[in-house]
Amino acid sequence: MSDISTEKYVEEAKRGIANTVLQKALVGLQDRFGRGTAEAYRRLPEGPDLRLKAHEIREKAIAHLDVLLEILAAKIRASGGYVYFAETAQAAVDYCLAVARRNNVRLVVKGKSMVSEEIGLNPALEAAGIEVVETDLGEYIIQLAGETPSHIIAPAIHKNRQDIADLFVQKLGIRRTTDPPALTQAARKALREKFLAADMGTSGVNMACAETGHITTVSNEGNIRMATTMPRVHVALMGMERIVARLDEYEIILRLLCRGAAAQTMGTYASYIGGPRRPGESDGPDEFHLVVIDNGRRRILADPQFREMLCCIRCAACLNVCPVYGKIGGHSYGFAYSGPVGAVVTPLLTGINRAKDLCCGETLCGACKDACSMNIDLPRMLLALREKLAYGDADWQVEPASRAEGLAYRGWSWLIRNRRIYELGLKLAAAGQQLLPQKKGMLRRLPPPVQGWTQSRDLHPLAEETFMERWRRTRKG
Amino acid sequence: MGTQKITLFIQCLVDTVWPHVAEAMVRVLEDLGLTLDCPTDQTCCGQPAFNSGFQREARVAARRFIEIFENAGTIVSPSGSCVHMVRHHYAELFKDEPQWRERAERIAARTYELTEFLVDVLKVEEVGASYPGRVTYHDSCHLLRGIRVKEQPRRLLRRVKGLDLVEMKNSDYCCGFGGAFAVKYPDISAAMVNDKVDHIVNSGADTVVGCDTGCLLNIAGAVSRRGLSIKTMHIAEVLAQRL
Amino acid sequence: MREKMKTPDQTQFIRRIRTALGHAPDVTREARHLFAESPSDEDLQLQERIHRRAAEDRQALLERLIEAGKPINLNVTALPDVAYATAAILRLAAEKKPEWGEAKSIAAWRHPLIDRLNLVEALDRLQIPVHLTGPIPVDAGRAFDQAERERQRAEIIASFIGVTSADFCLADTATLVMRTRPGQPRSAALVPSIHIAVIHWDQILADMKELFALLRWDERYRPEGLSSYMSFISGPSKTADIEATMVHGAHGPREVHLFVVTE
Repeated sequence: MSDISTEKYVEEAKRGIANTVLQKALVGLQDRFGRGTAEAYRRLPEGPDLRLKAHEIREKAIAHLDVLLEILAAKIRASGGYVYFAETAQAAVDYCLAVARRNNVRLVVKGKSMVSEEIGLNPALEAAGIEVVETDLGEYIIQLAGETPSHIIAPAIHKNRQDIADLFVQKLGIRRTTDPPALTQAARKALREKFLAADMGTSGVNMACAETGHITTVSNEGNIRMATTMPRVHVALMGMERIVARLDEYEIILRLLCRGAAAQTMGTYASYIGGPRRPGESDGPDEFHLVVIDNGRRRILADPQFREMLCCIRCAACLNVCPVYGKIGGHSYGFAYSGPVGAVVTPLLTGINRAKDLCCGETLCGACKDACSMNIDLPRMLLALREKLAYGDADWQVEPASRAEGLAYRGWSWLIRNRRIYELGLKLAAAGQQLLPQKKGMLRRLPPPVQGWTQSRDLHPLAEETFMERWRRTRKG
Repeated sequence: MGTQKITLFIQCLVDTVWPHVAEAMVRVLEDLGLTLDCPTDQTCCGQPAFNSGFQREARVAARRFIEIFENAGTIVSPSGSCVHMVRHHYAELFKDEPQWRERAERIAARTYELTEFLVDVLKVEEVGASYPGRVTYHDSCHLLRGIRVKEQPRRLLRRVKGLDLVEMKNSDYCCGFGGAFAVKYPDISAAMVNDKVDHIVNSGADTVVGCDTGCLLNIAGAVSRRGLSIKTMHIAEVLAQRL
Repeated sequence: MREKMKTPDQTQFIRRIRTALGHAPDVTREARHLFAESPSDEDLQLQERIHRRAAEDRQALLERLIEAGKPINLNVTALPDVAYATAAILRLAAEKKPEWGEAKSIAAWRHPLIDRLNLVEALDRLQIPVHLTGPIPVDAGRAFDQAERERQRAEIIASFIGVTSADFCLADTATLVMRTRPGQPRSAALVPSIHIAVIHWDQILADMKELFALLRWDERYRPEGLSSYMSFISGPSKTADIEATMVHGAHGPREVHLFVVTE
């Protein structure tokens, strides 16, 4: 499994907020794609409710995952492909390494794949002495910079053209330019050499279709088509949930994927890959491998509260509308998946306690659910995660996150049970607030544990008389 | 319609921090000829605990709410967030207690947020209010995406004499309140509310109006800290203004 | 057959999934209800619509295709017969400069429609060689197979234009649909800087729904299915990874020209 730094959410969030380049990029991203996706859903002939249909399709597929995966595997094998089922990240990485060794692979070109980030494929291949080149332009940029993606679809969103120009001067030896077409051309040239020299290409899987026995990949750049066409070996990595039964169902998923990911009607390239090159064909890989990865998904599958999360197709539409992601950026989430999808799936994959700030660090504003191409109720699952953190949960090995908070809510529940005691509590608090610094009738500083509020804003003090008291006084003569 | 009795469900923040919002709501409803009732032993619907994951404690509050409001007729609240809690989350809280769930659902069916009650139930848009000023409207998350109230407050505001309604950028973006979130994650929350205040300022409005006191306390707190002269008002206050 | 090919990793994996779903780990579940054994009413209606398409419907589809091509920088041109297509390709070959190196050469599919363009002869006038990507004989032995594949690969890499046809074109999204088969390598539509596709207008379908209805249920297409690699291509390659600025020509072709023959 790749590095996990979910504990640093608060720290990284602060850093993201202070990063002016990132702030500008996030505004641009959300202005463009957040609004564009909503509009793209509205323009669907079936309207935004197609997302509900897609949700049903995905739920049905998830409920029959065993059956669908076996059919897919049988069809791919019948077409001459290999299928490996990896229980853990390590097993998946080991399989890829074994394929690479058997084929004397020296250079791997990678199509963008979040699951490869999840399992930590690059460092493992590199440790084995294999050169790995990310080929999605954004991924390539951050690989050159030695960083990790900050957005599922736009991985280098945190870098501006000046950063990229400096990077390309240093790493590719080009003459400095900040012109995006010229920078793109420089990467195109460098990567073309890699594509043509690579021994193995890897890709993710956007969705597999059991009926036809194909996996599909979607890209705008063409890098995935290159990586799955030019090298001798193609290894596709697939989260075990990425499958639907039928082609007509897939049609709905693809249309929503393109809209959710980039507000597009259709991505430039969609490829349906069913196996290696066939006799008589002149191009395509000699070997095709599909690696189906569990890596903790089974636990999500087994829990009815979270099973819905497996409907996710990683389109990243939720990132483009999330007001929290829009301020803190993707690195704060400390794992391959950022934004609202990361806030739910990362704790489930990597441990709820250590990712507690991912579970609690959102406002439950609901924008992600409305933007979700699969209509997944992410806020509901954030609440379910918080419940586990509140009381602990044996099935998920969760410890209560804060005894103090638990006590506070227990006290609160006692207070609200009786209006008289409640009012007494309010009176005490109102008396207490007299001791706090005030300015123009606003509280300037609150004591712990609620000092966070007044870190950068004031607070209106408690009223001298509650509305209920006044009603009793004036109406119940 | 005139003799209909309405029961007030007052958000705890309104009750304890901004009671003038409830007073204003009372004036608006009584001016429409409605008779009001207010169970004064109400405290909180349970949302603060629920949002933090403390569902057992939230259930205590929810049961109490149900007992208090069970015999009420139409229930009206000056908070979209509280209505969202009762309408949608009570069912979730009592998913394993069918009897409570049924009681909760019966109450939920007759609980309304103020502006949806005025516009959708009473079919009233003109309440005789007058407010001279340039106003921008903030869409609260639970009101907008929880109970899908978007146009009702705007329609009411457009009928207020002297009021010039202008839209701000990203009016539907969260202000960064989020209950305990604002306290637990002050840096993120501050970044969000400062964006919100920037958008309010850039809209050219002198007043920001909303339908949820949580958001408004957050926005007012940031406005105050930044020393701005923007007024932060609940829609009930605007609707209660007379010449 | 399927059971025989199962590997131990698969057996364990599937057992664990069954357990997670609350089913008995060792009982293979029924799957037939997930699939369809015959076309649905919608599928039949779609097929009917395709078969009954009259000339004016084709014209309307063509116009939709041209419109859909515009925002994605796909140049769609309707031409009355193949001679016009040859002339158009000739013009492009003369005008355009190679992206890599100086020499001009073109790779073209062996395909009934492309063969009719007589590209080898036509481009000979410009002294531009045309490499035809013929199928590789399956029984010619391994060494020949490999040498032939390497030759074709080198020719395609050296070509600045790739000429292909397509199986279908979807009007709503301006999407070329290509199934891989011998003689029609997918790299010809990928590696050269300019991709030119020539299709007949009866290959235009409305959308993916029509396409999938044909691939799933029409006996002319069903046996071949999706092939080992079916490509959807909607316009030239593009990226917006640098400050969200749209740039065409990320890794695939920078330009795509689609000639629709309406004879």
